[in-house]
Amino acid sequence: MKRVVLVGVTSLVTLGAQAADLDGKQLFHQKCEMCHGAAGMGTGLLARRMKPEVALLEKRDDLSAAYVERAARIGILNMPPITRGDVSDAQLASIAQYLSRGKP
Amino acid sequence: MMNPRNNIEKGNPLDAPHAPPSAATLDKTLKAMAGVVGAAATFASEEDRDDYSDRFPIDPHRHRPFAAVAPTSAEQVQALVKIAAAQRVPIWTVSRGKNLGYGTAAPVVAGSIVLDLSRMQKITVDVENATVLLEPGVGFYDLYDYLQTRNIPLWLSVPGNSWGSVIGNALDRGLGYTPYGEHTRNICGMEVVLPDGDMVRTGMGAMPNAPSWQLHKYGYGPAWDQLFVQSNFGIVTKAGMWLMPQPQIVRGFDVEMDRMEDLGPLIDVIGPLRREGVLQQSPTIGNWFRAANILTTRKQWTDKPGSLSDEVIAAIRKQFGLGWWGVSLRIYGRETVVQANMDILGKALNAIKPLSMKPFSWRPGEPFSPTQGGWMGVPMTFPLQSANWFGGRGGHIGFSPVLTQSGRLAMEQFNRTYARYKEFGMDYQASFAFGERHMLNVNAILLNLDDPDFMKRVDPFLRTLIADARQHGYGEYRAHIDYMDTVADCYDYNNHALRRLNERVKNALDPAGILAPGKSGIWPAAYRKEGKA
Repeated sequence: MKRVVLVGVTSLVTLGAQAADLDGKQLFHQKCEMCHGAAGMGTGLLARRMKPEVALLEKRDDLSAAYVERAARIGILNMPPITRGDVSDAQLASIAQYLSRGKP
Repeated sequence: MMNPRNNIEKGNPLDAPHAPPSAATLDKTLKAMAGVVGAAATFASEEDRDDYSDRFPIDPHRHRPFAAVAPTSAEQVQALVKIAAAQRVPIWTVSRGKNLGYGTAAPVVAGSIVLDLSRMQKITVDVENATVLLEPGVGFYDLYDYLQTRNIPLWLSVPGNSWGSVIGNALDRGLGYTPYGEHTRNICGMEVVLPDGDMVRTGMGAMPNAPSWQLHKYGYGPAWDQLFVQSNFGIVTKAGMWLMPQPQIVRGFDVEMDRMEDLGPLIDVIGPLRREGVLQQSPTIGNWFRAANILTTRKQWTDKPGSLSDEVIAAIRKQFGLGWWGVSLRIYGRETVVQANMDILGKALNAIKPLSMKPFSWRPGEPFSPTQGGWMGVPMTFPLQSANWFGGRGGHIGFSPVLTQSGRLAMEQFNRTYARYKEFGMDYQASFAFGERHMLNVNAILLNLDDPDFMKRVDPFLRTLIADARQHGYGEYRAHIDYMDTVADCYDYNNHALRRLNERVKNALDPAGILAPGKSGIWPAAYRKEGKA
C-alpha cells in the first residue's frame, strides 16, 4: 500500500489504495471481512445454516478455490455477487487461494 | 414500467420509447472506452451484466446494463464521458455500486454503460482541520481502517449497512447515527466532471491554491455542491467531507416504549431537545420489527401469510425484550457538558414512562459491542441480516417520506401506513429518523424474492403508500430507480416548475443526454416530449 505523508501547516495523509500489491489475506480483510468478519452479515447468516464455530470463512477447511470464486461472482442466497470492478479476477483468485488454503 | 424505453406510465409526459443506441454503436463505444481504461477494466460478459444489475429487484430484467467500465482517475472519467457524448450512449455512474434497496449498481435506463468508480480510492486526511478529501471508490470500511491504523482521532458517520461508498452515500443523502449523521451536510468542496468532459472544482476549490477547499462550503457566488447531489448534472470524482473530532465521552440511554401510541409522546420529547441542541445526533426511533428481523426469521414464529398477528408480535417482543418502539439517544463531547445534558435528557424521558431505559457510557479505548458501534461511527453490515427474514433470498425497498417533528402528525402517518401494510399483507418495519428540524419516516418493505405472488404485491403497495403520503404533503427524500419518476412527480408546485428547472439545467449541461437519464426523475430532452425543440 503506497503512502505519502506530507507535513506542512496541516498534517495531510494521502493513500493511493490500489490493492494490487496486497496478498490474499490482506485482500480478504479489505474486500470480504465487512460481511465475513466476526460481526458481519455473512457470518451471522451462515451461523444459521452451519455450526457457528465455522461460520467464519477463515475457519473453514472445506472451501475450494473454484467454489469461492464462483460464489463471489454469482452470489449465494443473500450474498450479492461481487463485481469485477470491485474485486478483479486476479484479486479474487488470490482471496480464493487464501480461503481454500491452496485447494484448487 | 418506469423506463421510457419499455413503457409509458399513465399521465407521465414521457415521450414514446426513446430509440436506444444500436448494437454496433454500443460495441464501438465500449471498444473506445476499453482504450481508455484497458480491457481488464471493461466488463461486458453476461455474468458482468447480471452482477451490475439490481440485487433487490421487483423485476430483475428492467435495469440490466450493457456493460461496465472501471476508471482509475478523473482524467479517465473525462475521456469516457467524451466518448459517451460523441456516441450518445447513456452512462450511469456508481461510486461503489452497493446502493442496496435503491437499485444497487443498476441504471434507470437498461442498456446503459455503468461507470464504476470503485477503483478510485485516494484518501487525503487533514488531521488538524478534521476533514478528508476522498475519491468515490473509498468505502466506509476503507476510511475507518485508514483512520484506525494511523491512530487518527477522527470519526466518520456510517449508515446502517456500511459496505458502500462514503461519497456515494452522501451524494444520495444517506443517514447515520452520530452528530454527523446527515451525511450530505458533511460535504465540503467537490471536483466534478461535467457531461461534456470539462472539469470544475466547487467552493474554494475554484481557487487553485486555496488552503480552505474543505473548510468553507460556499466559496464565492452560487454554491454548486448540492446541485451534484441526487442529480445527473456531473460526475463527482472527489469530495471533501467533514469528520468528527473524537469526543471525550459518549453517553446516553437505550429506551424502549411499550405501546404503539407511545410514538407521539416520544417524538414530542426528542424534537425540542434536538432543535435546542441538547441532542446533537440524529436519533432514530425504530419499531420492534426493525430490531427483531435481524435476529430471527419468520418461519420460527408463524407459517401464516399476511401481516404478523398481534399474538406473534407479542411473542417476538417478549423473546427479545423489545418495546413496540425503541430509540438510542447519545450525547457526545466533554464530560461536564455531557453530564449536564444527560440530566436534562433523563428527566425528560422519565416523564413519559419508558418500558425500559438503559444508560450507556463509553470512553475512547474502551471495548464495545458491535451492535453499539453505529453510534461511534464504526461501520457495520449485520443489520442486513434482515434480508433473510423469509428464510431464502430477500432484500428490502424503502418508502421514506419527509415529515415534521410533530408527534400527532407522525402518529397519523404511522396509523395510515400500518393499515396499508396489513391491507397488502406485509410485515411492518418503520423508523422515524430526526433531522435538525424535519423527520424522515424510513419504512422498509422486506422482500421475498422466492415468492412471485408476494413480489407482485410490492409495486402496487409502494404506489399506494406514495399516493397516501402525497395527499398530506409528504414526499420521499430518496428513491429506488423504479420509483424516481413517481416520487419526482409529487414535487409538482406550479405545474412541475422544479422538474422543468432541473431539466433546463440538464439540457444546458448535457445536450447529448448521456449522463444517467432518469436519475431522480430528471430526463434529457431526447427522452421527453416537451423537452424537444
